[in-house]
Amino acid sequence: MTDVQAPASTRPLIKVEGLQKLFPIGSSRFRAPDAHVHAVDGIDFEIAPGESLGLVGESGCGKSTTGRMLVRLMDPTAGSILLQDGDEMIDIAAIDKRDMLRFRRRVQMIFQDPFESLNPRRTVYDTVAEPLTVQRVGSVPEREMRVAKLLDLVGLSPADTFMFRYPHELSGGQRQRVAIARALVLDPSFVVADEPTSMLDVSIRISIMDLMLSLAEEFGVSYLYITHDLAVARYMCDRIAVMYLGKIVEITDTEELLSNPQHPYTKALLSAVPVPDPAYRRPDVLIKGGIAKAIDPPPVCRFVDRCPMATDFCRTHDHPDLVDKGNRHFVACHLVESSAG
Amino acid sequence: MTISNEVSNDAPILDVRNVVMHYRTEKGDVSAIENVSFSLKSGESFGLVGESGCGKTSMAMALLQLQAENATFKGGEIVLNGEDMLKMNPAEVRSHRWSDISMVFQGAMNAWNPVHRVGAQIKEAMDLHIRPQLSHTESRERIASLFEMVGLDPEMMDRYPHEFSGGMRQRAIIAMALSCDPQIIIADEPTTALDVIVQDQILTELKKIQHDLGMSIIYISHDIAVIAEVTDRMGVMYAGKMVETGPTIEVFHNPKHPYAFLLLSSTPSITGPRRKLAPLEGEPPNLLDPPPGCRFHPRCPFVTDQCRTEEPPLAEIGGGHRVACWNWESVPPLSEGLRK
Ligand SMILES: Nc1ncnc2c1ncn2[C@@H]1O[C@H](COP(=O)(O)OP(=O)(O)OP(=O)(O)O)[C@@H](O)[C@H]1O
Ligand SMILES: Nc1ncnc2c1ncn2[C@@H]1O[C@H](COP(=O)(O)OP(=O)(O)OP(=O)(O)O)[C@@H](O)[C@H]1O
Ligand code: SF4
Ligand SMILES: [Mg+2]
Ligand SMILES: [Mg+2]
Repeated sequence: MTDVQAPASTRPLIKVEGLQKLFPIGSSRFRAPDAHVHAVDGIDFEIAPGESLGLVGESGCGKSTTGRMLVRLMDPTAGSILLQDGDEMIDIAAIDKRDMLRFRRRVQMIFQDPFESLNPRRTVYDTVAEPLTVQRVGSVPEREMRVAKLLDLVGLSPADTFMFRYPHELSGGQRQRVAIARALVLDPSFVVADEPTSMLDVSIRISIMDLMLSLAEEFGVSYLYITHDLAVARYMCDRIAVMYLGKIVEITDTEELLSNPQHPYTKALLSAVPVPDPAYRRPDVLIKGGIAKAIDPPPVCRFVDRCPMATDFCRTHDHPDLVDKGNRHFVACHLVESSAG
Repeated sequence: MTISNEVSNDAPILDVRNVVMHYRTEKGDVSAIENVSFSLKSGESFGLVGESGCGKTSMAMALLQLQAENATFKGGEIVLNGEDMLKMNPAEVRSHRWSDISMVFQGAMNAWNPVHRVGAQIKEAMDLHIRPQLSHTESRERIASLFEMVGLDPEMMDRYPHEFSGGMRQRAIIAMALSCDPQIIIADEPTTALDVIVQDQILTELKKIQHDLGMSIIYISHDIAVIAEVTDRMGVMYAGKMVETGPTIEVFHNPKHPYAFLLLSSTPSITGPRRKLAPLEGEPPNLLDPPPGCRFHPRCPFVTDQCRTEEPPLAEIGGGHRVACWNWESVPPLSEGLRK
């Protein structure tokens, strides 16, 4: 097991070990009946209290699946998810029904897509208040005040003009903010935020990130922040993990990752970030064409077919371990040398 | 593809003139599109940006005549190839929709029917709109090549939507929007669910199709860097109004509406010093009761008395650059480029 440490002084709030999710797929003329999609294939990471870990990577590489397992909306095929609970670490992958309700209160998810996750027949108030109702928190007037306060915080104001609307009467970004308000209404200690601000304009995006950061600072809320927007990850996250086809290929402090990327996939990713200047021509992205296949991938490096630097060594050896190349900069690539020191 | 002969080459393929559309609600009328005009030439790409809730999707829906049931048009024309869509009957509208003008909807990746294979759903759309109909093999070949274009394994066409990740469903939606060879595509946040490498690949591909086939594209996005990279001209909306339009390079280098100026100066970046960014001051506008005069005036740092009562017109300031602001001359140049 690789040793991906959060800041050594604090105990992690959440610690993931060997997490894996395989989806069996039916037979067809293209493959054997017992083939599997290796959506998440043995990943490890830790998140400290108040820390925000960014999770970035190719579409389909397993980010949402990871998030869903962390909030127990999906059972892992293998691995453990340890959550700090007083002085103990409990494995929520093995938690029983009785503890579920208590655990739900502390761990919330903002879903990737508010068009999918909001119930079209429930008003904004019903949706945001639901966790309070389920957990039997507060009286009805108290709930109403709490919901109004959250709607204000996420910029849906005046709150009373939004409370009793249905999702179809809201714009994309307004729906996304309803989903955020709902996830925060119970004061969770850990939030999986799956692309929470992708449909918001920069101004609201900044206010929401500031809100989430202030919750981290004041109450030690931790985030797994899934995003495709690296500028957002930079604003929001202390560290960033880069995934490719079910594996974490690089993980380190945000500024270190952006200024000194090591894995060839990370390099390609950074070079593909669009530049907000119409006069600027970005150089070509260094990655080979081709389509990532997650169905029973061979044991070699997952990136080998698309890597511009791949050697025969890469084609004949197992997927490289995620190892510290110096200064807690972890990389999974055969070709990256450790830096001295 | 039909191009009607009354239309000369330079005439816009789509001309939106003074469109006003409101939503009726229990609390009153939501003024979602207020006197919006812009045009699109054949082969051109146009970017639409603006605050969340300012009316971009409403505008797109109006262009396809797919507005919500509680929407009402209070005026204006939407002229497609010389014909006003607002005057057409439903059958005429249907004959243009998808084959002449198609759309990648915001959040469409969840519009897939869960019980049918993705490829079959694309084939159904092609069977309805492509004449003469393609044979079974031709359809599959076309879908396979569209899938490759958007970076999906063609084998995925025989799988069900729940087996796709969010981004994979979105790529399939883009493939579907292209499947009937439209003249105009409206792409509402087409790549926000995708990683930047796939985004780059799809946008490059769309640019190529656009040039090769003379297709026009309207991009709606909150990612202004995408707008910078792929559009020729753009419009900035605020609270249901078009407040600035012009060549993309002009608007980016020389924004003159205060909202556009603030939008462009507060964009987070992955280069340069990591800095705290300031959101816009003040509340987002309430479209049930929009501010009088200039709709931006309660939040505008350049506001003067005139702004509070008189509405500024969208007026040409040179080089096809139009701005709706009484005080555009007070807006300073964006210091330095945005890069760095
Ligand atoms: N059917 C409806 N009934 C009432 N109000 C509506 C309806 N649809 C949209 N609205 C309102 O109209 C305004 C414009 O919505 P629209 O969806 O066009 O915004 P948008 O610019 O696309 O925003 P976003 O970037 O968040 O997607 C919003 O304030 C929204 O709340
Ligand atoms: N229920 C399922 N059955 C079969 N395969 C699935 C299922 N859910 C996800 N997958 C597959 O697992 C992989 C990971 O999907 P996941 O949704 O976690 O990706 P993601 O990283 O969140 O992508 P995106 O950025 O596009 O949202 C994909 O190859 C997807 O096709
Ligand atoms: S017209 Fe006045 S209030 Fe409106 S944007 Fe211009 S300066 Fe600001
Ligand atoms: Mg996802
Ligand atoms: Mg929209």
